[in-house]
Parts: sequence; C-alpha cells; structure tokens
Amino acid sequence: MNIRQPFVLVPRQRQSRIALIAVPLVTISLTVIAAFFLFAGLGADPGIVLYTFFIEPLSSAYNLGEVLIKASPLILIAQGLAISFRAKVWNIGAEGQLIIGAICASLIPIYWSHSDSMLMLPGMILIGAAAGMVWAGIAALLRTRFNASEVIVTLMLTEIARQLLYFLVTGPLRDPMGYNFPQSVLFPSAALYPTFGGVGVRANLSIFITLAVTIICWVFVSKSFASFKLLVGGTTPAAARYAGFLPKQAVWISLLIGGAVAGLAGVGEIAGPIGKLQRIISPGYGFAAIIVAFLGGLNPIGIVFAGMLMAVVYVGGDNSLVTANIPASASVVFQGLLLVFYLATAVFARYEIRRAPPPLIPA
Amino acid sequence: MKIWVRTLLGATALGLLLSGPAASDPFKIGYIIPNAIGEAGWDHELERGRQAIVDHFGDKVQVNAVNGVGEGPDATRVMNRMAADGTNMLILGAFGLMNDGLVLARRYPDLKVLHYGGYVNEPNFATLALRHYEASYLCGMAAGMAAKTGNLGVVAAFPLPEVLSIMNAYVLGAQSVNPDIKPVKVVWLNSWFDPAKEKAAAESLASQGAEVLYSLFPGTPSTVSTAEQLGVYVTVTLSDNTMFAPTKHLCSAQAEFGPALIRKIQDAIDGKFVGDDTFSGVKDGSMGIAGLSPDLSEEQKKQIMARLEEMRNGSFQPFRGPIMSNTGQEIAAEGTNLDDTAIKSMKFLVKGIDTTLPN
Amino acid sequence: MMDALTFVVAGAFAMATPLMLAALGELVTERSGVLNLSVEGMMAIAAAIAFMTTHDTGSFLLGFAAGGVSGLLLSVVFALLVLVFLANQVVAGLAVGILGLGLSALLARSYEGMTILPMGKITIPILSDLPLVGPILFRQDVMVYLAIGSAITLAWFLFKTKRGLVLRVVGENPQAAHSIGLRPIRVRFIAVLFGGLMAGLGGAYVSIVLTPLWSQGMIAGRGWIAVALVVFACWRPIRLTVGAYLFGVVLLLDLAIQALGLSIPSVILTCMPYALTIVVLTIVSSDASRIRLNAPVSLGENFRPAN
Repeated sequence: MNIRQPFVLVPRQRQSRIALIAVPLVTISLTVIAAFFLFAGLGADPGIVLYTFFIEPLSSAYNLGEVLIKASPLILIAQGLAISFRAKVWNIGAEGQLIIGAICASLIPIYWSHSDSMLMLPGMILIGAAAGMVWAGIAALLRTRFNASEVIVTLMLTEIARQLLYFLVTGPLRDPMGYNFPQSVLFPSAALYPTFGGVGVRANLSIFITLAVTIICWVFVSKSFASFKLLVGGTTPAAARYAGFLPKQAVWISLLIGGAVAGLAGVGEIAGPIGKLQRIISPGYGFAAIIVAFLGGLNPIGIVFAGMLMAVVYVGGDNSLVTANIPASASVVFQGLLLVFYLATAVFARYEIRRAPPPLIPA
Repeated sequence: MKIWVRTLLGATALGLLLSGPAASDPFKIGYIIPNAIGEAGWDHELERGRQAIVDHFGDKVQVNAVNGVGEGPDATRVMNRMAADGTNMLILGAFGLMNDGLVLARRYPDLKVLHYGGYVNEPNFATLALRHYEASYLCGMAAGMAAKTGNLGVVAAFPLPEVLSIMNAYVLGAQSVNPDIKPVKVVWLNSWFDPAKEKAAAESLASQGAEVLYSLFPGTPSTVSTAEQLGVYVTVTLSDNTMFAPTKHLCSAQAEFGPALIRKIQDAIDGKFVGDDTFSGVKDGSMGIAGLSPDLSEEQKKQIMARLEEMRNGSFQPFRGPIMSNTGQEIAAEGTNLDDTAIKSMKFLVKGIDTTLPN
Repeated sequence: MMDALTFVVAGAFAMATPLMLAALGELVTERSGVLNLSVEGMMAIAAAIAFMTTHDTGSFLLGFAAGGVSGLLLSVVFALLVLVFLANQVVAGLAVGILGLGLSALLARSYEGMTILPMGKITIPILSDLPLVGPILFRQDVMVYLAIGSAITLAWFLFKTKRGLVLRVVGENPQAAHSIGLRPIRVRFIAVLFGGLMAGLGGAYVSIVLTPLWSQGMIAGRGWIAVALVVFACWRPIRLTVGAYLFGVVLLLDLAIQALGLSIPSVILTCMPYALTIVVLTIVSSDASRIRLNAPVSLGENFRPAN
C-alpha cells in the first residue's frame, strides 16, 4: 500500500437495488466456479455435484423437509444473535446455550417418561428458553459486573456445557433400561413436536416458533420501536467496549434474548428429529447461526434467506456424500468459500466505489 | 450464466446415463463409517470389513460407503438418502445411528439394517457386536506377564458399557497370570479426538510408574507411539498397532468385521435375513490377537495362545465367577458365568481398578 | 507423587508452546486493532500441511516453514476481507476459520492417523540431569525455548521500539494515526500476517512435535484458547507466556490427578481449564483501569480513510 490507492470506498446513502440482487448472484457464481475446480480436482463430476448441492435439496417434499429442519434452528438462533450483534454484544456461545436448554428441557420427559400430559411440550419450551437465558446470563453478569469479555466467557461456557452433556448422558440421565448406553430414555410423544408434510418427512411444528420469532424481530426492527432500537441498536461506539462503556441493559437484553432463542433451538432438536437426550444434539448450529446472522445482513428477512441458503448447502453437502462420493470435508470447504466470497462481494452493497480524487500535490 | 446451466444439465444427463442400472442388479449396500479412515482403529476396521465384503461377493454387491459424517443429524440425512435411493441394506458403524436406523427400518420394510453396538432388534433390524473383551483378556495376560512390578495404566475415552467390559477383562487377564498386579490406574480423556491429550495421558501414567499401557478404543495412535518413545510396553484394542510402536508393542486385539457381515449379507441375499443379535468373537474368527511381542518368552506366548484356543472351543470365558466389583459387591458367584446381556450392559469395574464411574 | 509433579511442571512447557505461539501472533494482530477469530482454522491448516511436509521429507525445519507459510496464506484471505473489503471482523474470522478447518481435513485426508518420529529434545549435559530442575528447564525441545524467546522479543518490540509504538497507535486510534502520516491499513496487514505466521507455527508444533501425528480435528479448540489467552493477558506478551504455561499445567493436572487415582470425577477436572479461564478473566477484567490501559481501543473496528 505504498502506492496511492486508485479507488476509494464511500458508504452508500441509500440501498442500491442492483447491489441487493447482484451480491448474492455474484457470490453464488464465484462459489460455483471455485467449487467446479475443487470438485473436478477431487475427480468427481462437478455438474452432478453442483446439482446435488443447489437443486436437489429443493426437489422433493422429503428434501424440502430436511432443509426446513436444518434452516429452522439456524434462523431462530440467528434472529436472536442479530439483535445482540447490532448492539455490538458478541455472543459466540449460542451452541452452549442450546445444549443447556436441551439438557434442562429434557428433565421433564426423562422424569415423566410415561406421561401424555398436554403441558409437557409447553413446559419443555419454557424451561429450555429459561435455561438458555440463565447460561447466557452468566456472561451478561460477568460482563456488566466485572467487565469480562463476553466473547471468551460464552465460548468457554460452551465447552463446559458440552462436557456437562457428556457427563449427564453417561451417568445420571441415561436410560436405566438402555443397557447403560449413553443416551436418555426416548421421549413420550407428548414431549415431541408434531410433524407434518407426509410420511417420512421430518419437518415439525417447531418451525412456527422460528416463524413467530422472525415476525417479532421484523416488527421490532422495521416498525421502529424507538426506545427498543435505542436500547439495543448500538449507538455506543464499539471503541469503548473494553473500557466498559456499553450500556448494561443492552448487554443483558442482548445476551438473554440470544440465550432464550438458543435454548428454544435446543428444545427443537431434542423434541424434534432426535427425540431423546444424547451425546451429540447439534452439529454446530450455534456457530453456524452467527454466520447466518451476518449473511442475512442482521436483517430479520435477510436472515430467513441466509438460513435457507445455508441449509440448502448443508443438505446438499450430505447428499453429495452419497451421490458423488465427495468427502465430508469438501462440503465444509464449500461452505467456507461461499462465506468468504459473500463477505468480499458484500462490500459493494454497503459502499460505492469511486475513483480517488486526484492528489493535491502532483506526485 | 447460460453456458453454465447448459454444462450443468449436460453433465447431469451424462451422469444419469452412466449410472443407469446394470444388466443384473447388484445387492446395494449403504455403509456408514462415522469418522475419517486412519491407519488403525474403529473406522479402519470398518473399512477392512467393507473390503472383505467386496472381496467375498465381487460384483454381486455394490457397496456405497460414506465416511466422516459423524453420528449426529447429518449422518441421518445420508442414511435417509441411501434408503430413498433403493438401497437393500444399511450397515451403520456407530452406536449413535441406532434410532435413525430403526425409523428407516420401520418405514422401508424391505430394507435390512445392520447396526454396530446397539441393543434393539426388529424383523429387518439386526445388531452386530464383537467380543472385544475376549481379545482384551489375552492382551491383559500379556500385560501381566510383562509388568515386572505389576503397574498397569489404561487410557480410555468415556465410561461406556463396552469400554468397561474390555477394561475389566483386561485386568482379569493380567491378574490371572500375575498375582502382584497393583491397582490399575485409568485416565479418562472425556474427549473423542484430542491426540495431544492422549499423549499427555500416556505420559502421566508412565510417570506414575506404569510399565504397560492399554490404549482402549483410541481415536488416534497417539498413546501407542508415545509408549514407544517413553520405552513402556503398550497394548491396544481393535487393530494391530505394531507399526506405531515397533519395539514396545506387546499385543493388539485384532477385530475382523468381515465374517459376521458376510454371513448377514448372504442371509439377506438368500431371503433368510433375521433381525437378531450377533455377538461374535474368537469362536467364529471375528476376534483375535496380533503382533505378540518377541519380548514375551515362547512359554508365555504358548500360555496366551492356549487361552485363545480355550475360548475358541468354548471351555473358557473371561467373565466367570467369582467376580468382585471394586466397590466390594459380588457380581458373579463362584462357578457362574456372566451372560451376554450382563456383559453388554456392564456398569461395574472389577476389583483392582483404581478409578470411579459417574453415578 | 514427585514424578507426577515433574510430569506436570515439565510437560506443561510443551503443552503451552502451541498456545503461546498462536496467542502471541493474535496479540500482535489485536494490538493493531484487528480481532482475528480464525486462529483455530489457521492452526488446523498449518498442522495438516506441516505434517504432510515433515512426513514426506523427514525435515522438521521444512515442516515448520510449510506450516508457517500456510497459516500466513490463510491470514492473507482474512486480511483482504477485513482490510480491503471492510467485512465485519468477527464473521470474517469465523468464515476463514471454517475454510481452514475444511481445507485441513480435505488436503490431509490420505494422511489420517499416520505418525512420524518425534523431534529430538535439547539436553544440556550435567544441567539436564539435575533432579526436578533438570527435566523442567533443560530437557525441552527447541521450539519451547524459541516460543519463550519470541515472547520476550515481542515485549521489547511493543514497548521499547518505534515500530511497536506505531503498531499500538494504529490499534488505539487509526484515524489519528492516519492523520499524522502513518499507514494504518499497511500496519494492520502486516500485523494480521504475523498473526497467521505464528498461528501456523503453533499448528505445526501440535502435529509434528507435540503428538506427533495427523488426525482430523486434532487442534481440538487450542485456537480458541489462544484467543482467550490474549484477553486474559491484557494484551501483554510476558503475562501471556505465564498464562499459557498455567493453562498447560491445568490441562496436565487433570490427567496427573486421574493417574494418581484420586477420586475426583474426571468431568470436573476436564472442565477445569475452561472454568478457570472464566474465573481468571473475571478477576483480571474487573480492574477496569487496567483493561482501559491495555486494550487496543479500536479493536474490532474497521478503518476507512476519511476523504
């Protein structure tokens, strides 16, 4: 950067409609081109792989159901995190909040494993959300009271949550009739979200929670609840973060909302496709949701699209293992490329590129 | 953009042509290997099992193997996909895939499911398990012979029932040949994949004076190669690990997934598939030992091989009474043997193991 | 008991070294005002490439070089995203981290589970035979000494040299730095690349010295711990070195206590490093004035020259 930069970036005054459409298109094109070479290099037919990645997930009721199952927790968590990120509170540990939510919610069906009470599922939903809030609340307390970085605290709490889950399913919460295998009893059907969409489709009613949260977030953001926006809208310069100038309410509200949705997502997993407590309940939804939140521009509607896109790629990646014999790690690379290209192109949505003004003193 | 679409469609059409049905439809098998395939260990043995199937059946079967999908929700999606593609049999190489396999078995009555490590049966859902504890007893004998001062150490991941049965048999084997075995030290990693931690665990046991280490269901060969560096003997489950510890490898269990898999596949092809429990071991060649160290005397080797022979002809089994737990309970009285259910759902540690279990 | 003590106190150096290397790099990056959360991914790709190199050539030097370069290359991607394309630093770090993890598993997949012979340790005659002190101070591998040496060099660089001052000024207030004729983007670029190089060396250490073998996912969260260490150490290299060492001690204590056969549930021991990080972080951070004195004020904020 010794040479003078020929171009400068100027923030856009108004959103550019062309950029709004061009950015996703360019991102996907670049990813497709890069993936073409990647998959060809792996000796697979790139055409088939790309078809599996982008088209097939949308091609049948079953696959759509899978996309919804995957997208729902991503969108749900991302909506909560977006509020937090807008306030510049960095909750990186939604994964841990999800796990704790799932653990606590599972206590109900584990202790009343033969009940068919209608209150079971609502109870789990409430407890799951509350537990997620408590776990995130630890970070909020340490941040507001002792100024401890929430990035590190939420991250460490995630590892602790994971160990706790391992411990509980190999010990206290394992199924006493399950030959001591590391999992809980199967939940009774009263503890499960009803599925819809036909035989074999695993999509379930937890999607409506995601939908409701999305609508609430959208209303808050777009209909200008002024006080709320001020509170968590992030008018505080991040520069002052470590100096401890962030308003306490913003930290508390951000983390509690993030914890609540992550806890709900945890309930969605154990009361959804999994149906019990086991060692692995999330393939990293809490982390992926951070990316979804940003891919969606921290905008409730954008997040829905971003979550769907991520889910399509996930499902496509799994399918490509079967159809094209692509190693699992290749689909991780594919996701990484997609994100990197998006972040590179997104600059054009936020900034105008102008030719730099001529230097005042000729060089 | 248009060119791209055309290329895509062209390539897809071509792909469909190439993958069209062959003249005689082979028996289609979907094979799930949970992690990356290494040089030894569980996923390596699953891969050898796949190889054994291919070698035995040739082009009568078509095995579609997938590895590295874990045992969470993503593996489920892969299995669903295979089932929907008209796969005749699913082979599931991880305990965590049990419930999803069960759901698929109920949805597709023509699909046969083979599951490793679980406990559920349905007409088209069978369970496979290996008697790792048998070979483990023999490795324990080798360890007992090699440990002059009687100090043994075990590195293990999580206290699962199968892990406990292997550990118990090992210690019983060691005690059977060496009355001076000291309380056996155990380090739980509480982690599946952290080779640096495995290595440190091995070092910590060696620093406590352990003369023989046992790497129980290792995620990596870390414990074994560390033993070589530290100059302490090492025994291992699942695969021959001689290459990772050329001078200090004492004895490995060697699992053979092939025999049981071939039998079940043949049954399915013949229409005689039964959703039962297969618990196979030394008797049918599913379990053995490998890489016995030249440091053991010929007599000691003979003693170990004699026990192996007794297991083969059924005159000996490792869990025969009296067995006491390390909390002082009598598990099996003199003259009684533990049955397979008790072995599979083990939740005690035998007397002489110095660690505690959750709950 | 004595042996266990030696094991923990001496072994902690090796456990701490990759954390130290990666965290020192991240410290410099953060001092320039850039938060790079892709450390885990950079360590992973470097571990993979370094292992492949050493496995195929037998040279540890080449292994470290290849690891350092691959960490550096991945950090170029991150630097371009945040410095040229002005992407959010948190999300760019996560994205590049995912890319690094995926690439490491993909590139080294035919090396899964392979081992190499360990690198020799430096033994200083007579001194290394001293009881207790010998194995602790005089029987370590060369990277352990290099890591500690680079921490001291960095402390000197940051606080005693003009370039160190430039780095800190850019991290404090890039606009002001720019207005007095410094080039914040260039400084940040170099700082990010240095971070990548160091994370690469740390990753290489894990796969070719610490274990030494390759296995997918073997970095096992060390990159995240490195990020935590920086905050923990208040952005000061010497304090970071001590912190990394303590972390190594705690990690080994878990195993040593179990090997002694003391009946503490192992899950509590396994959680200890993470819980302890939170506790220490809380104590360190609660002194707001100290944080204010050391934290780079512009951390996480992108810089765009105003014109």
